[in-house]
Amino acid sequence: MRTLSLAWLLGKPTAARRAPMLLTAGAYGLVSALVLTTIAGALSFNRIQNELSGMYLMLAGLACVLLIVPLAVLGSAAARLSARSQDLRLSTVRLLGGTPGLVLGITVVESALVAFTGAMAGIALYAGMAPLVGMIQFQGSAIGAAIWLNPGIIALVVLGVVLIAALSSGFGMRKIIVSPLGVRNRSQTPKPRWIRALIVVGLIAGISQAFSMISVFKDLAVMLAVLLGGFALGVGALNLVGPWAVGLIGKAKLKKAETPEKLLAARMILENPAQAWRQVSGIAMTCFVAVVGGSGAALMNMAGTESSPGSPDALLSADVMTGVIITIVVSFISVACSTAITQAATTLDRAELYAGLNMLGVQRSTMEKARVGSVMGPVIGVGLGSIIISGVLVLPLAGMAMIFAPLSVAIILGTLVAGVLAVRGAVALTSTSQTLKLVRID
Amino acid sequence: MIEANSAPEQAPGTIFSHAASNNPTQHSSAPVLSARALRRAYGSTLALDGVDLEILTGESVAIMGPSGSGKSTLLHTLAGIEKPDSGSVLLASSAGQQDITTLGESARSKLRREAFGFVFQSGLLIPELTAVENVAMALMINGLPRAAALPQANQWLSALGLAGMEERRIGQLSGGQAQRVAIARAQVTGAKVIFADEPTGALDSATGTEVLNVLMESTVGRGNTLVMVTHDADVAARCDRIISLRDGKITSETRPGSPNTIAPGAQH
Repeated sequence: MRTLSLAWLLGKPTAARRAPMLLTAGAYGLVSALVLTTIAGALSFNRIQNELSGMYLMLAGLACVLLIVPLAVLGSAAARLSARSQDLRLSTVRLLGGTPGLVLGITVVESALVAFTGAMAGIALYAGMAPLVGMIQFQGSAIGAAIWLNPGIIALVVLGVVLIAALSSGFGMRKIIVSPLGVRNRSQTPKPRWIRALIVVGLIAGISQAFSMISVFKDLAVMLAVLLGGFALGVGALNLVGPWAVGLIGKAKLKKAETPEKLLAARMILENPAQAWRQVSGIAMTCFVAVVGGSGAALMNMAGTESSPGSPDALLSADVMTGVIITIVVSFISVACSTAITQAATTLDRAELYAGLNMLGVQRSTMEKARVGSVMGPVIGVGLGSIIISGVLVLPLAGMAMIFAPLSVAIILGTLVAGVLAVRGAVALTSTSQTLKLVRID
Repeated sequence: MIEANSAPEQAPGTIFSHAASNNPTQHSSAPVLSARALRRAYGSTLALDGVDLEILTGESVAIMGPSGSGKSTLLHTLAGIEKPDSGSVLLASSAGQQDITTLGESARSKLRREAFGFVFQSGLLIPELTAVENVAMALMINGLPRAAALPQANQWLSALGLAGMEERRIGQLSGGQAQRVAIARAQVTGAKVIFADEPTGALDSATGTEVLNVLMESTVGRGNTLVMVTHDADVAARCDRIISLRDGKITSETRPGSPNTIAPGAQH
């Protein structure tokens, strides 16, 4: 009760906290809207009544699995910003004798309240987007009214978003120390070890083995479970090796760094490769989907044109292409938003340092270039790496797609470039001076 | 224009050639900074109310006063961090005198990077960088290549007693060691005027004394000028001159060891 009343008392949005709170609530709103739309899209395939209905459900499930990571990263980034934006208040609570448990309680309650507000806005956004999304065609007919979810599912999504926010902020608080004198990050971050690469190799071998045996399973539900489970494990493997790979990118940049901006950008990546990876993990998976799914879809599209027009097979090939593009777009929206939120939180963390360095004569543009480099370096490195690795994995398929369906390949590549530009836009939107102005520290 | 100092003009190996003390023979009579009729208001509060002050080349000046007396505003105005509402700050350089209050933001930034050095209470070191990179950064921002900046930064760290700690990150250093890194960064560019704002404020007394020794010896000990804001009378007593401020006005100027209090606005 004391926690609730204190959270209520401290949670009132003052001028300085309004911007971070709005940003956080907006992020939760976007997550909620995207999750609702994705679930609605996946469930809309229930209306398909032909031999391909199982295939559609499987592909929709696959898209949902692939979107879990970017959406979870976005939720976690929002929780971190929420915690960081109430630094001073939390320190004051500690100064007045509040226990770390009370501080944790206040943070969790406030994050949950902000997430609930955001989720409500998300429902409105979902409702606003529904008529547009309903116009997307699958199997020759628009999704239409099937985009509307029943209230029970909507309530479950809201509950899920609020729970994720509360849990993320609780875990996020483990990474910072709230003392009576202020809030600071715990200095030691675990360094990724090469042993992770070995675990990943083992996981990949296991997944390949499971996929090669998939035809043994006769039941479609079991096949679906193996496939989705395999993909989820693949995503997990990628998350294990990702920080290590980002660390390698950071080391390579450090070696070549000749300017202050480049040196700082490389060190910012190396400071916490796991965090740098989290920001770009969605991009690795999106690029993987774009290359593997895109190549397959492009070839299917080409084959589909040879099928009789309007047949389920011809429609399936076009629909897979649509699905791949939707997955890429949703994933990039999530990545761009989580990048914006993470960058705003990072700038708030370092507001005093930025202001001080400016006094010393270090121009804002120097810090700005370093910040952009620390985000876009891994984005481009991880994105290109993912495209190359997935391209090699499905070399014949990708090669054929480039030769026989160049237009489809160009559309996929264009979507990827637009996505990277969206992330760059998110970084620009949260420029240091802009963020500090929003909270009136500048 | 102010000339850039892209490299130290005096090798750090020579910084402890003579101990810094309240020895008036160490500084010349030529002022390096001359403030005239400085006024600065924040709303209805006057932070500086007609301050006149001259800082001589090679001297150490402590600025003291209660909280809100205007001492940090005075330091920021002398250093070109803030612009006064009126008045001037003349900086002497080889190219002659220049009123830094007439410069735009980017020109003042350049001036702060190239002509001045700063040591603040919080250090303002970049936590992701190693000690040597923090120092080298000051040279790299002035255009020196990394390969040339790192050896100079290493030399400074060694001279300030941090040999073997060059590759440590700031979080791995003690408060006193981190402040030495800040002192090295302030001087690696060859700055002739060093501004310090409570440089020992966050340190225990023993470490504070060590850091103050390093600061004095590496600045006035090498013929450079030190302007320092402090609350600590013992720290101020190490300087050649103590300026006391209250309500934005200089109330007294004293020379430690001398019984005479100098009237405000008196020439030196």
